[in-house]
Amino acid sequence: MNEKYLEKYERKTHVIGRTATAVTLVMLVGAPFLIGSILGALPDLSAAAKGFLSVGIIWTVSSVVEFLVYTPMLGAGGGYLAFITGNLINMKIPCAMNAREIAGTHTGTPENEIISTLSIAASSLTTITVLALGVLLLVPLQPVLQSEALQPAFANVVPALFGAMAYQYFRRNIKLACVPLTIMTLLFTFVPSLISQTSIMIIPAGAISIGLAWLMWRRKGLQA
Amino acid sequence: MLSQLNSAPLYLICGSIVAFVAAVCIVFMVRAYKAGIAIGMDPVKLKRTLTSSVTFSILPSVGILLGVIALSGSLGTPWPWLRLSVIGALHYETQVAQAAAERVGLTTLSAAEMTPVAFSTIALLMSVCIMWGMVLSFFFNKAYLQKLSGDPKEKKDGKKSFGDTAMVAMFIGLVSTYIGSYIGGFVSGKGTLSFQGDLTPIIVAAVSGLCMAGFIYLTEKKNMVWLESFSIAGSMLAGMLAAILF
Repeated sequence: MNEKYLEKYERKTHVIGRTATAVTLVMLVGAPFLIGSILGALPDLSAAAKGFLSVGIIWTVSSVVEFLVYTPMLGAGGGYLAFITGNLINMKIPCAMNAREIAGTHTGTPENEIISTLSIAASSLTTITVLALGVLLLVPLQPVLQSEALQPAFANVVPALFGAMAYQYFRRNIKLACVPLTIMTLLFTFVPSLISQTSIMIIPAGAISIGLAWLMWRRKGLQA
Repeated sequence: MLSQLNSAPLYLICGSIVAFVAAVCIVFMVRAYKAGIAIGMDPVKLKRTLTSSVTFSILPSVGILLGVIALSGSLGTPWPWLRLSVIGALHYETQVAQAAAERVGLTTLSAAEMTPVAFSTIALLMSVCIMWGMVLSFFFNKAYLQKLSGDPKEKKDGKKSFGDTAMVAMFIGLVSTYIGSYIGGFVSGKGTLSFQGDLTPIIVAAVSGLCMAGFIYLTEKKNMVWLESFSIAGSMLAGMLAAILF
């Protein structure tokens, strides 16, 4: 029963995922034209094309890399949702990994697919709710959120997130973590201009970690 | 111009798209929950996944809200609200909006210089530049995952495949990159080996990590399993508080 059910579930996930993605894409690209028609000025396509050539290409390459690297982490449902809702590195990926850790599921299993989808959906709904409430209460909230005293806290959300996750993951994989951490620290120390390219540097760091993990996994397999 | 960008029709357009995406999230969530129950997963585990994901996401979402506030001064509130609720990324939006503004002839991204053409062009560019992940997902998600899926027998046995190890390794690489960038930023942020860069991210990450160690101790050694759902959020809060204190 399970196998047939899961097959049907998976098939439908792709149908719903693709449909939702297509509709969102159309709405997202259509919105500037609709807004433009309300404002009485449609987008300047030639300026947009020039802009795309100067800034869009980098983000296109980055999107390809993100798709290739993160889709296997997120699974089918989680993947569709995460690419629709965005904020992958600073929220969706760590959130899905945390949920996976708590649930104890393994990559590629139906359980992992379900946990990942639940986690990304809950995370996306939380962001949507917080932003909607924030927009609704923008006037009273703005002075609080933009107060001088709170700025250091909000400027350091990502270090706070990765500090906690570093402990969670490094403690069980200390040998594996030492190498990429040392290499990245040395690289950012001696080529500080790379700090502005941190999201791109994830790729070589990930490749080094996967390479090392493969060597360790293979050695373990040979010993067993 | 700003009053036009904050007008009711713009809220309606952007709000409808956000509402659609929220509905998609609910559909996926309900389906996944039902599927989990149907294949015999523990409902407690499923509920804990939901709780932990919600608590996990609150603080980063407030950070994203700050992005909306930052952009609302020049682009109005509805558009940044949409961009950061759907597909957008905090680090991306400001950068692209700024670059797009320059392309349409503005000296800087500001409400004072904004024109209707400039706004609709910036909005289009912001959408087009970041949509490729969705495009790839639409065309290749299914085929890519099918190609990557390992031996079905191995999965049935519940054995840990290399795919699993690879995902953990990739994530370790991701975390190492960020931690390395904080250390590098402090050591060489204001000149190579000057040790005069920003120390705050390192302190924040260390406090957050220590707090996480405390949570893990309580969860694993003192059997306070319920704490697990709040461990990341609690650790982040401690780290962010440290940023204020230091």
